Amino acid sequence: MAIEFKKINGDSAGYFAVVLVFAAVVAIGVLSYLANHFGSAPDDMSQRVPWGIVNGAIPYYIGLSAGSLILSALAGVFNIKKYKVFSRMAAFLAIAWIVVAILSIVMDIGKPLHLGGATLYFNLTSIFSWNAFLYSSYFVVCAIYLIAMFEDKQTATRILAGVAVFWAVMVHSGTGAIYGFIYSRELYHSALLAPLFIICATSSGLGLLMATIYLTFKYTGRKLDPDLVRSLSKVFLGLILILAYFLVVEMFEKSYMPGLQKATHFVFLNPSQSIFWCFWLLLIVGIGVPAFIVAYPRTGRDLRWLGIGGIIHAAMIYAERFYLIVPGEAFPREYLPGYAMTSLNTLEGSIVSYTPTPIEWAQVIGLFAIGYLIFLIGLKVFAILPEEATEEVTKEVVEE
Amino acid sequence: MISRRRLLILAAGSAAAAFAGVSPIAGSPEGISKDPNIPRWAMLVDVDKCTECVKELIRKTGDPHVKPPCVVACDVFNNVPEFEDKKKDPQWMRIAKFTLDKETVEPEEFYMPLLCNHCEHPACAQVCPTKATFQRPDGIVMIDTHRCIGCRYCMIACPYGARSFNFEDPREGLKHINPEVPTRARGVVEKCTFCVQIVDEAMERGENPEPACVKACRLYSKNALVFGNVKDPNSEISKLMRTGYVIQLRPGVGTDPYVFYKFINEKP
Repeated sequence: MAIEFKKINGDSAGYFAVVLVFAAVVAIGVLSYLANHFGSAPDDMSQRVPWGIVNGAIPYYIGLSAGSLILSALAGVFNIKKYKVFSRMAAFLAIAWIVVAILSIVMDIGKPLHLGGATLYFNLTSIFSWNAFLYSSYFVVCAIYLIAMFEDKQTATRILAGVAVFWAVMVHSGTGAIYGFIYSRELYHSALLAPLFIICATSSGLGLLMATIYLTFKYTGRKLDPDLVRSLSKVFLGLILILAYFLVVEMFEKSYMPGLQKATHFVFLNPSQSIFWCFWLLLIVGIGVPAFIVAYPRTGRDLRWLGIGGIIHAAMIYAERFYLIVPGEAFPREYLPGYAMTSLNTLEGSIVSYTPTPIEWAQVIGLFAIGYLIFLIGLKVFAILPEEATEEVTKEVVEE
Repeated sequence: MISRRRLLILAAGSAAAAFAGVSPIAGSPEGISKDPNIPRWAMLVDVDKCTECVKELIRKTGDPHVKPPCVVACDVFNNVPEFEDKKKDPQWMRIAKFTLDKETVEPEEFYMPLLCNHCEHPACAQVCPTKATFQRPDGIVMIDTHRCIGCRYCMIACPYGARSFNFEDPREGLKHINPEVPTRARGVVEKCTFCVQIVDEAMERGENPEPACVKACRLYSKNALVFGNVKDPNSEISKLMRTGYVIQLRPGVGTDPYVFYKFINEKP
């Protein structure tokens, strides 16, 4: 017996209530965007910190997408057949998140109507240009991969899964390179950013997926074998520990250079700055706590706890985006090395604070809600959810 | 009702079509000209004279945030708006105070203007996703604000903080509009153009161009700024660059900036 995928009925009051809640959050996000871009609702970005949290949404949602997709394709590429039950759902989420990521680009840029220019005029040396190509093609690859799964084309699915994973790695390396290749800001300039982005993409995507799987199966009344999620959580544990390792290596490498001491002190040791909290809370709450939840037997067996761990991690990855994007801008650069500088008419030369306003948060959260709105509607329109995900079903698949 | 397969094929197809519109290279960048007849514009700042001017102004006005004639002239000529919120206020030319980072020697401060360096290898043009930022054959780095999508990647990449984003409509921050220079819209990036309108007009008339800040400094202050063609060894700027020690800002990043700062005026 093959795995049977089925649409949900989606006619219960609960379903409509959840859809309405997400739609309302989306509406608030859209209104905030309009008020911010065309009205005078304030954001806290500045000439010194021109990239804020709405910009952070771009790598964040691309991360969730790449993470979901890599996971979905695991079944195909590494032949881990027991995860096949989740591969349609994860691939669909990947598509939802890449749509959200492209929307966050639209929301972040100053002239959304000019966005087409990014595809018309290709600048070979601009990583952003390459990403415009990578993101749109990634969407196409994901869509074809999902179609192959819908049509039950086994070989095509396996090949496409490989292509999709490669594309996801390219997409996220490209996103990491947007920041990491900036040689004029020492806090950005790092070859580690591209691989680090891939790790945190996979870990945050997987974390959120664990929670999504649990909640979706619970509220659609489908059987879910806890061992499936438990084994996923082991992969998750490995990933978040690798992420912690990358972050710590990066921290020590940056701190080692005397010329960067003031900057690293500002980032890692100054509790009066939000960046300090972003970094340390990411390590302790975003990685330490979920790692404990997975590793500690009592919580590690409980899907509710695993879901909470996944959500905490995925949420704290936003703090990571903040930590990666903001300090490199907020900390002043030395135009004339060795000399202290103050500008007469601008904020150059001093640390420029950046505290995201509710208007900015509403946009980011609205984008998040779009992702789940697409998912909820997808559950009703497409057969992406397996009838049941239990030991018997997966065993039969493995034996086939 | 449209079938699942059709819908997905349609979605993928339309995305593929949109993406097929991508031409690999739309036009080639102009880039710097090697032709000796085409000038390479540059600016030289005499740091001593600049410091003298700013110190004098601060003493006279008692205002540590005073705008010297060069900055005022730049703002007026180029329609650079003035907003109260410094976080959002765009500024093409900025004056900065520098002090050696050794407090015990009680170092003497000096002042210099900061502006777009019109680099030989501009980081901004390198990262611009739409080629809205480009380099003219004479070295001036320009922004096509109609092509700019406002992604602000250039502001992140510029090593000199030379670029400003129009968070607000700049026309709201202007008291007068100079019709010679186009005003910009909200949502795009702008910066110093070496007063490209003045440069082009002067070239047509066969004269030596003098950007607004340079002219203001000569007329109302210490004549600390010199603008000219560094490809010509007999130009004023080339001559002055030979008579002292000249540095560039952040040469280590390899952008090769063309605003030079001169520290010592007399050769020993």
